[in-house]
Amino acid sequence: MNPGYPLVGTRNRVAVIAGLTALALGGNLVGLFLGAPEGLLPLPALPLAIPIILASYWYPRRGVIFSAGVAALYAVTVFLLSPAVPLLAYTILPRAVFLVLVGWVVALLATRLRESEQQMNEIIEFLPDATFAVDREGRIIAWNRAMEEMTGVAEEAMLGRGDREYAVPFYGERRPLLVDRVLRGEGGGGVLTEEAAVTRLRGGKGAHLRFTATALLDAKGNVAGAIESIRDVSDQVMTEAALQNAGRQLNTLTGILRTDLSNRLAVFYGHLSVGVMKFDDPAVLSFIDDLNDAANGIRRQLEISRAFRDIGTSPPAWMPVQGTVMQAAAGLPFENVALEVWVERLEVFADPHLGTVFVHLFENALDPATGATRVVVTYHLRPEGCAIIVEDDGIGIPETEKEGLFAQRPEGYGHGLVLAREILSITGITIRETGTPGEGARFELLVPPEGYRVV
Amino acid sequence: MSSEVVRELRSEEFPLADEVWRDYHGMAADPARDRIFAVFAGGRIVSLARCRRHPDGSMEVDGVFTPEIERGKGYARKVVRALVVACHNDDLYMYAVESLTGLYAEFGFISIPERDLPPPIRERYTWAAGNMEGAEVRPMRRRAGL
Repeated sequence: MNPGYPLVGTRNRVAVIAGLTALALGGNLVGLFLGAPEGLLPLPALPLAIPIILASYWYPRRGVIFSAGVAALYAVTVFLLSPAVPLLAYTILPRAVFLVLVGWVVALLATRLRESEQQMNEIIEFLPDATFAVDREGRIIAWNRAMEEMTGVAEEAMLGRGDREYAVPFYGERRPLLVDRVLRGEGGGGVLTEEAAVTRLRGGKGAHLRFTATALLDAKGNVAGAIESIRDVSDQVMTEAALQNAGRQLNTLTGILRTDLSNRLAVFYGHLSVGVMKFDDPAVLSFIDDLNDAANGIRRQLEISRAFRDIGTSPPAWMPVQGTVMQAAAGLPFENVALEVWVERLEVFADPHLGTVFVHLFENALDPATGATRVVVTYHLRPEGCAIIVEDDGIGIPETEKEGLFAQRPEGYGHGLVLAREILSITGITIRETGTPGEGARFELLVPPEGYRVV
Repeated sequence: MSSEVVRELRSEEFPLADEVWRDYHGMAADPARDRIFAVFAGGRIVSLARCRRHPDGSMEVDGVFTPEIERGKGYARKVVRALVVACHNDDLYMYAVESLTGLYAEFGFISIPERDLPPPIRERYTWAAGNMEGAEVRPMRRRAGL
C-alpha cells in the first residue's frame, strides 16, 4: 500500500522544507542584524523545528543529518552574530541539541511507520486475489500485482485516483463497487460479497467475478477506508454449469430408458398373467411364479433409479437442521409416536435433499413392526466432527442385519437407507447404525468438522 | 391459559436469558460454549436452564432458574427435561442446590463425591473448601443416555 498519493509532491516537499528553513534562519539573521531586544537573545530555535519535523518525516533516512546541519547553522550564526553575553555558548548549545533530538525522534517514528506500511504493502501485494483499497474519500491507496494482471492497469496509474476510477477497468465507466457500499456504512463492519459477469475482462471474452469487500477501521473503530478483493470464478461457474447440464442430459436419458423398460415390463407382466390363465401344470405355474419374482425385482430397481435421479443436481448448501427435520416430519404419520428434535442451532453443509434422509429414517422408525413410541433427534460434538443422532425406542435392528443395512438389496429396510447414504456422502457425511437390539434403533450421521456450525 | 413452548434458545435470543438471569447471580450466556433451554409462556421466558461445554469437553448444567412469580407451575421440571434429552449424549455434571436435588434425581442425576467432578467444574466452588453442605450445594452426575 502506498502511504499515499502524496499530499505534497516530491519537488514541492523540498521547496517547502527549504522555504521554511530559510524563513526561520532568515528571521533569526534579520533579528540579529536589526538588533533583537536583549531579553530575546539568543534568538529562539523553535521555529526551526518545523522544517526539521517535515524533513525528518518525509525523508527519515536524512532527517538526523538535516537537523544536525540546521542546528549547526543556527548555533554558528547566533553565536557569531549575537552580542557577547556571559555563558552565550551554554545557552545556544542545548537549543542546537534539542533541534537534533527533534529530528532524530521524528525520523525514528517515521521509519517505523514506513516499515509497518511496507509490511502491509507486501501482504496486499502478494495476495493471490486481485485486491485494491481506498481511503475514506474513495481514493485508491492500494492496487496489487494480481489486480494489475487481471485489469492490465498498472498500480502507478491508479494510486491516488478517486471518483470511482477503480470501476473503469471492469465496466468501462465510473460506477459504484462494493467499497462504496462499505464506505456508506453497509455491512456493519462485516464482509460484503456479490458476483457479477463482467464483459471487458479476459480480452473481451468476459469473466464471472466474485467481489468481496470489508471496511478498514482506524484505532477508534471508525471506517477509514475499504478493501475489496476480486476473484475470477469463471472456470468454477462453467464447470458447475457443465456438470448440471451433463446431469440433466443423463437424467433425460435414464428417464427415457426407465419409461421404455417400464413399458416392456408391463407387457411382460401381461404375458405372465395370460400364462397363469393358460396353463394349469403346477411345474409351469411355479416357473411363472419365479418369473414374476424376477420381474418384481426389476420393478424395484426401476423405483430406486427414479428415487436417485435428482441427487447431486443442485449444489450443496448450509442447511438448518431443525427446520429440515421438522419439514421432513411434517408429511409423515407421527400419530402415536412422539417426535423430539433438539438441533435448533445446528447447520450442516449438505445436499439439498438432506430432508429425504430424515424422511427415510423416520419411515423406518414409524413402521408399526418396530413398536417405537418415541423418536429423538439430537447432536453430539466430537473431535472427529458432529454426530446427528436419530434414535427410537422400538425393537431395534438385529445384529445380523446391521452389516447389510446400507447395501442395495431387494428386501428389508428397502432402498431408503441406500439413498440416504448416497445423499449424505456428497458432502462427506457418513451414516451408521449404533443402536442396541431390543432397545431401539440409533442412526449416527457423522458430519466432518468443516461441514457443520453451531450458529 | 397462555400457550407454553419449551425449546432451545437461538444465539440472538441469549440476551433474553441474561435479562432473566439478572436476578440469579448475574449469569451471562456465551453462544460459543452454552446451550440454553427455556420455557416460554405467553411469549415470555418463565424458566431457564443452561448446559455449558468446558474446554476439557465436560458438560455442566447450571442456571436452572424460574423467577419467583412463576414458581410452582412445573416449569423447572419441563426445562430440565428438555436439557437432559437434548444433551443426553454426554455425561452431565452439576452443583445442585440442595432443595432441588430431588428434582434432578427424577432425571437420573445421582450424588457424587466432589472429587469426581471434572476440574473445570470443581474450580467454581473452590471457595467452599470442600464444605458442600455449608455452601448448600451437592455435586451430581448424570450418565449419558436417554
